[in-house]
Amino acid sequence: MKKQTETLNRPDNTAFTQQRLPAWQPMLSAGIVIPGFVVIGLAFIGIGVALFVTSQNIQVLERDYTGVEQNSDNDCSRCLNRTNCVCAVQFNLAKQLEGPVFFYYGLSNYFQNHRKYGVSRDDYQLSGDTYYFENPEDDCIPYQYDSRNRPIVPCGSKANSLFNDTFRLYRLVGGQKKQVPFDGKGIAWWTDYNLKYRNPTLVDGSLAKAFNGTVKPVNWPKPVYELDTSDSSNNGFLNQDFLVWMRRAALPGFRKLYRRISEGEYADGLPTGNYSLEINYNYPVHGFDGRKKVFFSNVSWMGGKNQFLGIAYLVVGSLCIVMSLVMLIVYAKYRFPDEDS
Amino acid sequence: MSNILNISLSSVFVPPCFKATAISLRPAVSVVTYLDDHHTWETGSSVTVPAAQHQDNSTRSHKYTPLNFLPYTLYEQFQRFANFYFLLIVVMQCVPAIATIPWYITVFPLLIVLSVRALKDLVSDLGRRRSDKQINSRSCDLLTSGGFQTVQWKDVCVGDVLRIHKDQIIPADLLLLQSTEPHSLCYVETADIDGETNLKFRQALAATHAELTSDPADQSLSSFNGVAFCEEPNGNLYSFRGELRWRGETYRLDTEHILLRGTVLRNTDHAYGVTIYAGADTKIMKNFGKVIVKTTQVERILNRVILGIMLFVLLLDLLLAVGSGVFEHQVSSRLEVLSALGGDASASYRGFLSFWGYVILMSPAIPMSLYISLEVMKVFQCFFINWDLKMYHADSDKPAHARNTSLNEELGQVGHLLSDKTGTLTQNCLIFRQCCIAGDIYGQTGLLSVPNPLDLSWNRFSCGGLQFYDQRLVDRLVKQRCPLGREFFAALALCHTVMTEWKEGAPHYQAASPDEEALVGAARDLGWVFLSRTRDSLTLSELDHTRQYQLLTLIDFTSQRRRMSVLVKEPGGELKLYCKGADIVILERLQKDCPHRESCQRALERDPFSALQLFSQGCLRTLCVAVRSVTEAQWAVWRQVLDQCQTETSQREARLEELHARMERDLTLLGVTAIEDRLQDGVPETISTLRQAGIKVWVLTGDKTETAVNVGYACRLMDPDTSLLQGDELRQLLQSPDPDVKILQKKKSEMWCTDGCLPRDGTTIVINGLELAELIDEPELGARFVTLANRCQSVLCCRVTPGQKAAVVQLVRRHTPSVTLAIGDGANDVNMIKTAHVGVGLYGVEGSQAVQNADFALAQFRFLGRLLLVHGHWSNLRICLFLRYFLYKTTAFAFVNVWYSFFSGFSAQRLYESWFISLYTVMYTSMPVQCLALFEQDVSAEGCMCWPEVYKKGQRLEFFSPRALTTTLLYSLYSSLVLCLLPLGVFQYLTLDFQTLAVTMGTSAVFMTTAEVIEGGPVRSKNDPVLTKMNGTPFRRGTVQRRSSYAVSQGKGFGRLITSGAGLRTAAPQQQTPHPAATDSHTAQHLPGNAQGESAEAL
Repeated sequence: MKKQTETLNRPDNTAFTQQRLPAWQPMLSAGIVIPGFVVIGLAFIGIGVALFVTSQNIQVLERDYTGVEQNSDNDCSRCLNRTNCVCAVQFNLAKQLEGPVFFYYGLSNYFQNHRKYGVSRDDYQLSGDTYYFENPEDDCIPYQYDSRNRPIVPCGSKANSLFNDTFRLYRLVGGQKKQVPFDGKGIAWWTDYNLKYRNPTLVDGSLAKAFNGTVKPVNWPKPVYELDTSDSSNNGFLNQDFLVWMRRAALPGFRKLYRRISEGEYADGLPTGNYSLEINYNYPVHGFDGRKKVFFSNVSWMGGKNQFLGIAYLVVGSLCIVMSLVMLIVYAKYRFPDEDS
Repeated sequence: MSNILNISLSSVFVPPCFKATAISLRPAVSVVTYLDDHHTWETGSSVTVPAAQHQDNSTRSHKYTPLNFLPYTLYEQFQRFANFYFLLIVVMQCVPAIATIPWYITVFPLLIVLSVRALKDLVSDLGRRRSDKQINSRSCDLLTSGGFQTVQWKDVCVGDVLRIHKDQIIPADLLLLQSTEPHSLCYVETADIDGETNLKFRQALAATHAELTSDPADQSLSSFNGVAFCEEPNGNLYSFRGELRWRGETYRLDTEHILLRGTVLRNTDHAYGVTIYAGADTKIMKNFGKVIVKTTQVERILNRVILGIMLFVLLLDLLLAVGSGVFEHQVSSRLEVLSALGGDASASYRGFLSFWGYVILMSPAIPMSLYISLEVMKVFQCFFINWDLKMYHADSDKPAHARNTSLNEELGQVGHLLSDKTGTLTQNCLIFRQCCIAGDIYGQTGLLSVPNPLDLSWNRFSCGGLQFYDQRLVDRLVKQRCPLGREFFAALALCHTVMTEWKEGAPHYQAASPDEEALVGAARDLGWVFLSRTRDSLTLSELDHTRQYQLLTLIDFTSQRRRMSVLVKEPGGELKLYCKGADIVILERLQKDCPHRESCQRALERDPFSALQLFSQGCLRTLCVAVRSVTEAQWAVWRQVLDQCQTETSQREARLEELHARMERDLTLLGVTAIEDRLQDGVPETISTLRQAGIKVWVLTGDKTETAVNVGYACRLMDPDTSLLQGDELRQLLQSPDPDVKILQKKKSEMWCTDGCLPRDGTTIVINGLELAELIDEPELGARFVTLANRCQSVLCCRVTPGQKAAVVQLVRRHTPSVTLAIGDGANDVNMIKTAHVGVGLYGVEGSQAVQNADFALAQFRFLGRLLLVHGHWSNLRICLFLRYFLYKTTAFAFVNVWYSFFSGFSAQRLYESWFISLYTVMYTSMPVQCLALFEQDVSAEGCMCWPEVYKKGQRLEFFSPRALTTTLLYSLYSSLVLCLLPLGVFQYLTLDFQTLAVTMGTSAVFMTTAEVIEGGPVRSKNDPVLTKMNGTPFRRGTVQRRSSYAVSQGKGFGRLITSGAGLRTAAPQQQTPHPAATDSHTAQHLPGNAQGESAEAL
């Protein structure tokens, strides 16, 4: 009894309080490090080779249609300084492009990742809050109100600069142009389409009336509620092309998904033959030395064509091997005598 | 009541208390005036200090009040650079044009940081407030117009008359007016002030004693209306200058009349005094020093590093802003979507805005939550210290306690250990261990197990506790076979200045020196019981035969003489001179043909078999005891001289000295005593381990030189062959133009020693308080002293005041870059503990002042080894790793934005999601590094203790050196580059968008920094701690006589009291004593007695 009261303050004798928790501390001796480096190096080289080979097997067809240079395969140079111009890119597939084929457009020297560009938007508008239809946020300046002080919906530089070239692909079979069907559904992020972007509630069953009192962005030919009048689920803020554009690119050179080719006879890919891509050339990039490109590509388990990753793995793997060799030489020459045991 | 004051002297002075609540209760009894310099003493023109400068008697160590807490704590926290910086950032974030990160992202962590810190400060301040309150509300008796009333300490004011009870702590510095003892003597214990447990006496002025002594005392005290002139309040405990002007007379006052705050009244029923210094003016409080907020060295480096990072970041911001300007000018102007965004602003203005944008964007590079994480880590480390079973003292049920949670890493960097002696190294408990009588050595030392205690049941005065185990001696004594032994113990029982006090039928000894107490106590237990003394007689009970010796003369101990003698007349009429003293002093005064001289003499010639040699090997303190038979004729001659000396004044000292030399001659050696100044458990081992760890150990003690040196050897502060450097030799070295050169020439072989081994022939500096005072005053001399001391093995500072202890610490701090640690147990160490980088308090027997002011509290000195070598080393390692890692992860994280700027048009676009920035340090990367900071052990606890050399790494600050830091920062730059370019390389070919990139980037940052933790710990290599197990060097003794002496208290012993008779009641006038106990022959003569009838006992 007395003993108990005497040792009231005795600390607990546990592994934690006495700092005796089990621990593992690697002894990094040459016998562990050198084989370790070899193993890691080999593993990385293996991964690198796999990535590289996969990436090599991805087929990509890339065409620049900016029209700065005179090219035999397209006549877009004539559209360089004109609007509402149609031009076409001709190409030949010597080998079938395995499906599913993705069709991208790409821009370069275009700073979608510029900070001010990125914030120049009103998320409340885009989620269908009509209060902000009348009072767009200040972030949208100078695309907040038009010259007659009417609110712009969708406001901001980002929406205003919507990419508005359109594409149609024709397969040339025996002198006939046969349109290749594009699938434009589900090319935007699921979260954008279902959660983040909302059309305003319809007024009298009409989307257009919901936008009463607002004006279209300055550069747009038509208001947002007329982006796709044929399909109400692809109209307004929920238009897939609009959604794809509004998701900013990470780098000044970027590409964005335009359509998928996966329907009918093209489900297995684009067969060999001649094709013509007809372009409504609207978007001006000449002023800032930008380039416009189109891509036809298929994908693999690792995504699109990307040789960088494979090469990076190979380089690191090789470095590991080289380091292990260096260490082996150092070890053989200068090893501590007592480590022989 | 006649308390009209001398108006001319005190016209400006109104004691503050008279304006306070208790006005009507208190008579204005006296006035205290402080004089500010020496000149006023001479001229007599007094300067009265304005009333406001008089303190009340309350202690105040807390700093917050409910009103000032918030502003004060915010002020303190925003002095911290990082906090202030982030406050600015938050302000800037409210400007939309530059708000690259939303404001709430910064405010959220900042608020957490501020509130956690404020809470921590508040809790510790509340603790201080509680302890203040406890001290302030202690009670004492204050004289009012209605007699004595009990008031609280804090209500005492300068000028108040107080009544102090026996065993009461004195609440303020008092001028003793009278006491219930004869001659208004009183006894105080100053353990809390200077660490000495023996009693000191204080005596009131004869005038106040004569006039104010009455029964009851209230009346006479109420009419006291003297004016006290005192020097300005100061911290000098051992000097006081003052005057009392009363009834037209002027009386000199000195320390003898002063009762200091913090001392305890002993053996005196009541003492009455007037308060002259109160509260913060009291001498002990002046010694306490100010509250110093301690910041660690690592923290100071860290502040500089963070400042450096910040400047670097600002430079980067500037460069990026220039880039931004160029981009706006060259690119944006052509890109319509971008050029429109800037409005009409010019490119340079946009660049200017983007500079501030970058300042905000790069602010995460400054590790804001670093400080708070650090504090949390340190608190956890303190828990580990508190929890350590190996620092738990089961006997006192006291675990180690880290009171200050911000100094952990300094424990791993200590370069100088400054230790108190009494109560810290030693137990302040002296034990009679061995003796040598007639060439035979009795008793054993170094026993592993405690043998059965001696059977002393035949001795009714024996009160046990004798730690002397040799039945042979007892048998010989009892069977009367050893006449020399009998005389030896008679000498021990006679030759001393001990006073007795009778409690419960047994004598209790009060001695000026603990050595004497031990010797007289040993004699008592072995049958020679010192019962009582009067002015001219001593009563002994020799093996139950009571004998009275007539005391003819007593020659007291002084540090010059190093011996004391008594001349007594035995009951048989024979005259005997008993003398005891240091061996070298006694041996040269022995008779030529003294029988046992040889055995001792050989000791001086380094014969290992002599008793003295043996005792000193056991680290025992020896005294030689000798006797001389004196003839009546001789005594008659001496007496004549003595009587002459009484009247003569001119050459009195010299003549007395000559006489004493004549008396203490032709002695016959009776034996040698060996006393152990008992060390705390494990002290020698701990000190030797700490010295191996490269820590310089300095011992600072209020004790006298001989004792300190002795203990120094015993606790392995000095090796047996260490030579001492002291006095003039030291002075010469210091004053020579270049002490370094000189000491190298002189002691080359001793001073130079390869790193890692103990200097075999080291040198220890021994210095006393007076010499120290010089060093402290002269900065240049002080610097030299410290340089010299660093080359020596250790330093012993003797007879230093608490203030000087602190000054020494200050000296070391100023002249060396190393971390100082002060350890002590008493109130006299408080100042030193507060001044040192790290203060460690031991739970002492004498109250908890030291612990209260310490950063770490331990139960035993020996735990210091583990605290420093294990916890200190680990904490240091962990904290340095933690800091380096933290800097790494924040900078690597933030610099990614710099690289990304090249791809985003220098637009200050952040690369992370906004909340990710906020949560990155707070959440995502905090746990792994905290585990590192909690659990990392590069060397196991056993390893740390076994190879103290490991500690040196921490001392040299290797874990946080500029080189290590630079490496860390460069590595973080490299990491950020890789972290940015790899994902960008991958993204170049993919359609993935910015948000995906941000998430990828964030995830990789978390992965990378986490992986770095695993890699970050230092790797133990097989041959890191050199396996050099120290073997104890064979014991060799150089100079034996060093150990032979004994310590007297601060001032003088009781010798003067005994010979003057003051305070002793003579046996004769007993008849008037009404107390029944006084008729008992033993109790009648005791000193200091009870209060009965002192007026009748004229001496």
